[in-house]
Amino acid sequence: MGGSGPTLDKPKREAILDLGKYLNEKIRVKFTGGREVVGVLKGYDQLLNLVLDNVEETLQPPLPPTRQLGLTVLRGPTITVLSPVDGSEEIENPFTSDGQ
Amino acid sequence: MLPLSLLNAAQNKPMLVELKNGETFNGHLVNCDNFMNITLREVYQTSAEGDRFWKLKECYIRGSTIKYLRVPDVLLDTVKEEQLRARDASRGARGGAPRGGRGAPARGGRGGARGGPVGRGRGRGRGM
Repeated sequence: MGGSGPTLDKPKREAILDLGKYLNEKIRVKFTGGREVVGVLKGYDQLLNLVLDNVEETLQPPLPPTRQLGLTVLRGPTITVLSPVDGSEEIENPFTSDGQ
Repeated sequence: MLPLSLLNAAQNKPMLVELKNGETFNGHLVNCDNFMNITLREVYQTSAEGDRFWKLKECYIRGSTIKYLRVPDVLLDTVKEEQLRARDASRGARGGAPRGGRGAPARGGRGGARGGPVGRGRGRGRGM
């Protein structure tokens, strides 16, 4: 299928997320199953496999709050949410008592 | 009206995304693909229990983990109009002769009032 131009706006062949802008930045990654880590992005591929350095896993309450994992490869298909740590913070309820 | 056309049309619009695990994300849609992977900006994240909140500058969400997305009601009208316009355009381009052939005559006038009977009055607002 040739397609008539480079700007076909239906099929998004290229990644919708440019991970290049997060290189050497701290990012938070969540996985299916609920695990969550924070680390510095060192590399990635088109399948969203990631290389993170200085990784710290955030554990759930009964366990100690974090554990250090060092340099890791994260498997893309198990990643559910990815966001930069910079510019992110925990806040008070912004929806003020309307309970959604 | 296809789910992904609606989502595509929602770019730069505010939306609420709930994941299968119950977490929700309120933000503006930056981009999406045919797997329903999405990127949002200026995001308010809520924990599954609804007791913790985060503000994220941006975030990427894997489509397969999404339970549902809530989008602005007005999108329905927008998308319907776009579809009609696209259909008219392709008919015009293919036929050469502006309307006529292929059962077109019944529909008459170009654009304009066509948008009338559809949409509106679906009520219920955003409820948020």
